[in-house]
Amino acid sequence: MIKKALCALPIVLAMTAGAVASANQAPEDILDALAAKTKSPYLTQSPQNRMMMPDNPSYDVAEDGGKLFKQKRGPKNASLEQCDFGKGPGVLKGAYVELPRYFADAGKVMDLESRLVHCMKTLQGFTSDDPQIKRRHGSDTDIMKLMTYVAIQSNGMAWNPSMKHPQEKAMRDAGEVLFYRRSGSMDFNCATCHTNDAGARIRASVLPTIKSKEEWTKAVSWPAHRVGHEHTRSSQHRVLECLWQMRYPNIKPDSDVNIALISYWTDVARGQPAILPDLKR
Amino acid sequence: MFKKTSIAAVIAATTSMALVLGGCAAPGADKTAAPAKPDYGKMSPQALAEHLVFESGSYDLQQPTQEGTTGRHRLVQDETMKICSEAAMKGGQIDAKTSERINKLAAATVKYPEGGIKLGDWKKGRDLAWSGFGFRTAHNPDDHGKGAPGANCYNCHQLATDRTGGSLGPSLTGYGKLRGNSPEMLKYTYDVIYNPHVYFACANMPRLGANGVLTQQQIADVMAYLFDPASPVNK
Ligand code: HEC
Ligand code: HEC
Repeated sequence: MIKKALCALPIVLAMTAGAVASANQAPEDILDALAAKTKSPYLTQSPQNRMMMPDNPSYDVAEDGGKLFKQKRGPKNASLEQCDFGKGPGVLKGAYVELPRYFADAGKVMDLESRLVHCMKTLQGFTSDDPQIKRRHGSDTDIMKLMTYVAIQSNGMAWNPSMKHPQEKAMRDAGEVLFYRRSGSMDFNCATCHTNDAGARIRASVLPTIKSKEEWTKAVSWPAHRVGHEHTRSSQHRVLECLWQMRYPNIKPDSDVNIALISYWTDVARGQPAILPDLKR
Repeated sequence: MFKKTSIAAVIAATTSMALVLGGCAAPGADKTAAPAKPDYGKMSPQALAEHLVFESGSYDLQQPTQEGTTGRHRLVQDETMKICSEAAMKGGQIDAKTSERINKLAAATVKYPEGGIKLGDWKKGRDLAWSGFGFRTAHNPDDHGKGAPGANCYNCHQLATDRTGGSLGPSLTGYGKLRGNSPEMLKYTYDVIYNPHVYFACANMPRLGANGVLTQQQIADVMAYLFDPASPVNK
């Protein structure tokens, strides 16, 4: 359902957003164009996954999210329709590709997930202990459904995280330091695995490299359906998975290390079209 | 009155110092109550990054690790890590002097087996080389009671050709056959596995011996996998 509706949107989007030409393309067509341009081993590593993209299970997750978004819920019996993701209350088109950004009402830089949680608390009255907020990571969670719904309304638009507020720049720059900061039992930083020449692999998995903007835009295009997990996953979930491989301690949801890393990785993809929803290994 | 304000001033001064120094604070500093959040926009990227790691509540610093320490220890950097992180951010280039310094620090970490370097059991070495289990923590800690930690070699290297290895490091296929097993070659290989920075400053290979991931016996087994003529690596 939602897929059809979104396919009708793009004409308006392309004009209003001044976005890249891919704003009226399906996610698989955006990927094809990037792959044709670069012949990247990462972008072309799974023809099976490419074939599944038109029927991406994340579309259903987004559809559920749309219903939840409009539903009056929580102690305050309110919907999320007044949530401000940075472009004004209720504006979802193109909001995600400009995140993370600074929000004056919270006094901090927030990514999509933390902003959504903020709105669920302030508008709907949920608390951190409510399952609606507490349960993360999985297609069956409210957070994942809502995030997917909001995010895919930026499909094809160019990543353009805001850098106007000093805190936005500070978080991006600290994220860069964190990306290169080695520690843990294996001396890993993110760069160990993500700054190689294109095509480098951990075992059979082809690693995306920040040296290729075309590869990197796919790498940071979350939410994505993870075929291996049979779940739609978020940016913060990917951070968690890589930290686990790195032998780092557990990271808390919505924490500033998450947001700094995501600020940096989104900035690296600046100007490239977002693939939303994506489908990954 | 005067006294009161001067105390207030001192407190203010120390707090702002604590904020400035927050990034460089020694491990353990998080035991005191969380100070007011500093202005991120006014901190250097390095100071903010350190603040985020140790003071922002992002990581579970108390999480128990398999080696009996806490999450905090996994995040503290030694000199090698610090130098190599800075170098990586600048594109990975290090000058000859820094490179020598790293080599020297690394050489001092290597501990050799009492009876000299010997080859162990290549079959055990093969399992170790393949296994990526061990020391992972985060949301799903590896239980070392359920199995010994592995050596991760296949994550980054092609070894025998019956399995797919990674390509972050060079191919080691035919290692012993191509290089022979002279005492110099054995020592070189032991050093690289123990601490690759002895020869390759700021290598992307983990310091598996120096970091306590592998025991001397396990290194001997992995080395047998590399050198033994019967090992699939040399077939
Ligand atoms: C030991 C290697 C390793 C390290 C270190 C590492 N990653 Fe990853 N990363 C991977 C692997 C493997 C994948 C999955 C790639 C695939 O499936 O093709 C991945 C995937 C990703 C992706 C999404 C791309 C995808 O296709 O799934 C992002 C973004 C990412 N990592 C960011 C990071 C960040 C940020 C860090 C540091 C906090 C980091 N990684 C550290 C190995 C690593
Ligand atoms: C995270 C990736 C990684 C892991 C895990 C890893 N290595 Fe390496 N290894 C490398 C890299 C990268 C180099 C190249 C170092 C350089 O040139 O800076 C290397 C170099 C080497 C060399 C020297 C190569 C030569 O031509 O002389 C040997 C030997 C070696 N590794 C063996 C091993 C063994 C055995 C294991 C498992 C116990 C292992 N490595 C685990 C990445 C890794």
